[in-house]
Amino acid sequence: MKVRAAFFLLTVAALLMLSTSAPAAEPVKPLIVGMELAYPPFEMTDTAGKPSGVSVDIATELAKSLGRPVVIQNTAFDGLIPALKTGKVDVVISSMTATAERATSIDFSDPYLTTGLCLLLRKDSAAQTIADLDKAGVKVAVKKGTTGHIYATTRLKKAQILVLDKESAAVLEVSQGKADAFIYDQMSTYQNWQRNKATTRAILEPFQKESWAVGIRKGNDALKNKVNTFIKEYRGKGGFEQLGDRYLKEMKDEFKRLGYSFFL
Amino acid sequence: MQQFTTHTFGQPVAAAARVLSWCLVLLVTTAIFSFAFSQLQYGWNWGAIWQYRQKFLQGWLMTVIISAASLAVSLVIGLVTALARRSAFLPLRYTAVLYVEAIRGTPLLVQILILFYVVANAFGVENRYVVGIITLSLFAGAYLAEMIRSGIESIHDSQLESARAIGLTKVQTYRYVIFPQVLRQLIPPLTGQFASIIKDSSLLSIIAVSEFTLNAQEVNAFTYSTLESYLPLAVGYLLLTLPVSLISRALERKFHYAT
Repeated sequence: MKVRAAFFLLTVAALLMLSTSAPAAEPVKPLIVGMELAYPPFEMTDTAGKPSGVSVDIATELAKSLGRPVVIQNTAFDGLIPALKTGKVDVVISSMTATAERATSIDFSDPYLTTGLCLLLRKDSAAQTIADLDKAGVKVAVKKGTTGHIYATTRLKKAQILVLDKESAAVLEVSQGKADAFIYDQMSTYQNWQRNKATTRAILEPFQKESWAVGIRKGNDALKNKVNTFIKEYRGKGGFEQLGDRYLKEMKDEFKRLGYSFFL
Repeated sequence: MQQFTTHTFGQPVAAAARVLSWCLVLLVTTAIFSFAFSQLQYGWNWGAIWQYRQKFLQGWLMTVIISAASLAVSLVIGLVTALARRSAFLPLRYTAVLYVEAIRGTPLLVQILILFYVVANAFGVENRYVVGIITLSLFAGAYLAEMIRSGIESIHDSQLESARAIGLTKVQTYRYVIFPQVLRQLIPPLTGQFASIIKDSSLLSIIAVSEFTLNAQEVNAFTYSTLESYLPLAVGYLLLTLPVSLISRALERKFHYAT
């Protein structure tokens, strides 16, 4: 009994001593960047499992310019805006298009990249433009939460929309002939077409131009201004140019050959 | 016949005590959740959800249809597999074992993807709703098969011997001796499995089956109102699983034989 009491008192004393030790210096809050690591070469993981890609590099440079350590938070694309709204992430750098509708929920920085919506079509599909797909009996695949999804739901009233949550599933649907088209951004459409040359064809002329921007929580104007400054400076010193060369060299040359303006 | 009251140590509990206890439990639960939600800094936007109520309703109805169809088919599959598992014809028995082990040992997500994009594609079955129902039925059927089989095997040998002694055929034994007893034992785990089917149907959203969960997710994608989309989702599924619970309790009382 006495031994137990003594042991208990010792434990309490030890805990008290630990809790009254001098508090550590206030650490710098990390910049938590939300992105979906399923979008090579912008957001992906390397073979060791670490985040890598164009957006990851942008995030690292941004954090460096703010003097904060960077933490990449891998979140599903349609969960990025809720994560930003509830404060789980500080910024969203995930190849997200700045749309007026999204701007009612969050703020966007200045755009850092211009691209557009394109079509990945079934090999034997006769469609030549997006309007050709607005017919009964046509199945259009989209990825949930993307601007392609929004476009399809608002503008393709007669077609059947297949909403999938993974880009790979949507491409599989088109290549297996279960869907007639997949609406996605220009670069990914090109890559998916290259990987599925036997079963798909692509229309790489964008039918809707879009710009990607950094997402910031509404009201956080201080951070927004800092991000805009960073984007301007980074572009000024050729940072985006270097990223394009590092990750997108092949595509850059191919696009130049095909006559499309490069987007970064 | 067991009465519809709570019993503690064999004595019925007074109605007042039961009502007060329920009030207390609901009060504490509500308090915990109210506190959790009040800590959120969240701009609630129920108006946006109300606009999309048609989508929610359509999705809910689709889930009802898919769940009901899967329930029925899985029960048949489970029954057939349980009997096959006890068959004297070895290839049949081993098919049943392979099926049960493979389905119970792999995630439903993987099964849905493989059955739709590989197997159904190879056999030319295009309709994703049909494939979805088949996948769910196969999934639940494996679990049901094991439950039914354990129920059957729990019947004591002495009963089977008595049945043979009075000249009942195998079919008659199953029908008059085994299944009435097995049925009563089975009802709680069966209900659990049925509720599980209803909720697992949400996974069919990955092959673009337009059921309740996918519709709620789409509304979330359009309006960025995550909680306002997902809370009705929870309520909607409860609306489906609670009746299953209640019906099962009624059936338990009905089949309460003294054994």
